[in-house]
Amino acid sequence: MKTAIIATIAAAAALGLATGASAHHSAVQFDFGKQAQYKGVVKTFEAINPHMRMTLMVTGAKGPHEVEFEGHSTNNMYRNGYRKGMVNVGDTVTVNVAPMKNGTDGGFVVSATTKDGKFFGAKSTRALDAAAAQKAAEGKQ
Amino acid sequence: MKTVAFNWAPAFAVAAACALITAGQAQAAAAARPDFTGVWTNAGAPALGGTTNVAAPTPPIRPAVKVRVDAFNALINPTGETAGQYCLGYGMPQSTLGSGGYPLEIIQRPEQITTISEAHTEVRHIYFGARNAPEDERLPGRNGYSSGRWEGAVLVVETDNLVEQLDQRQWPHSDEATIVERYYLEPKPDAQGRRILVDELTMTDPKFYTAPVKATKRWAQIPNGRLLNYECPEETWHIRLEALAKAKGVSLP
Repeated sequence: MKTAIIATIAAAAALGLATGASAHHSAVQFDFGKQAQYKGVVKTFEAINPHMRMTLMVTGAKGPHEVEFEGHSTNNMYRNGYRKGMVNVGDTVTVNVAPMKNGTDGGFVVSATTKDGKFFGAKSTRALDAAAAQKAAEGKQ
Repeated sequence: MKTVAFNWAPAFAVAAACALITAGQAQAAAAARPDFTGVWTNAGAPALGGTTNVAAPTPPIRPAVKVRVDAFNALINPTGETAGQYCLGYGMPQSTLGSGGYPLEIIQRPEQITTISEAHTEVRHIYFGARNAPEDERLPGRNGYSSGRWEGAVLVVETDNLVEQLDQRQWPHSDEATIVERYYLEPKPDAQGRRILVDELTMTDPKFYTAPVKATKRWAQIPNGRLLNYECPEETWHIRLEALAKAKGVSLP
């Protein structure tokens, strides 16, 4: 499931996400002026430097398919709530990402919610989870 | 021959007094020196990422140099390639002004100050007095060679022996660039009670620029802060292992 979110990137920019990511390593392919959200089953996950790597199996209009992501360094993730064991292969997780500029699936993970509901990453993007939950709740009514 | 007995006592007294005064001055000077030891982060910046570049004007760049810099940027900009992507340290001045928003640890001893930027575990050594290396033993590099001295409570660091770095994000420079930094503490802590360390940096590079580059960086001390280990090449190594496994047609063990 991919939920496009209208960017409120002022919050992310205030956190320095765009500058932080691009400053350290190339992030030219990501659009830090927008955000998107994916929910899927973890197929691969590596909390490594300089970039976290993750593959999710997502479902949607295209049917089940794999989507690859990058993310912050282990150090940045750790400072913002990530701990070893929070994300494992087979878990269903939700990630908030700066999407690809070319419109393809994937992006740069700025935050995530684990299967246990634990959150790590830029706290300003937690609002995206609330927005998605609200939308889902409204859809069920 | 008539010998005259000389009374050395006053001379000794004067010498002893001078020694006491000199020692006292040295102690006073040492007492005036602040201790920068600690872990510092960008003042006013968030913990995740953070502002990495200091806003400062770029002086006029020499036309022939601009052609080279433009050509270099044209080479890397389409893919956004950076030296950091390949785990190469930022190099001066970016290693101090930017450091990717990661914290900086300063370890201060009288004869040497060592700074460690968490990103890439990039290290600078600043030597004082006799601790300095002989001129011919100063290995040129991306962070150059740094020598320090105190002017009262201000730490002055002079850096030379830099290598040419077209890949500096803000201010590419030649191997003739020299950098003078003046570090001092702001008289009052910030609103959060943190000490604020200021670095006023001037880079002079007549080979590249017609005037010096001037920038100011502010650091805020993290109470009881610690650096995290940063092993940058992990991703590169993992990608290589995947390639080896793919070439062999096997799964990663």
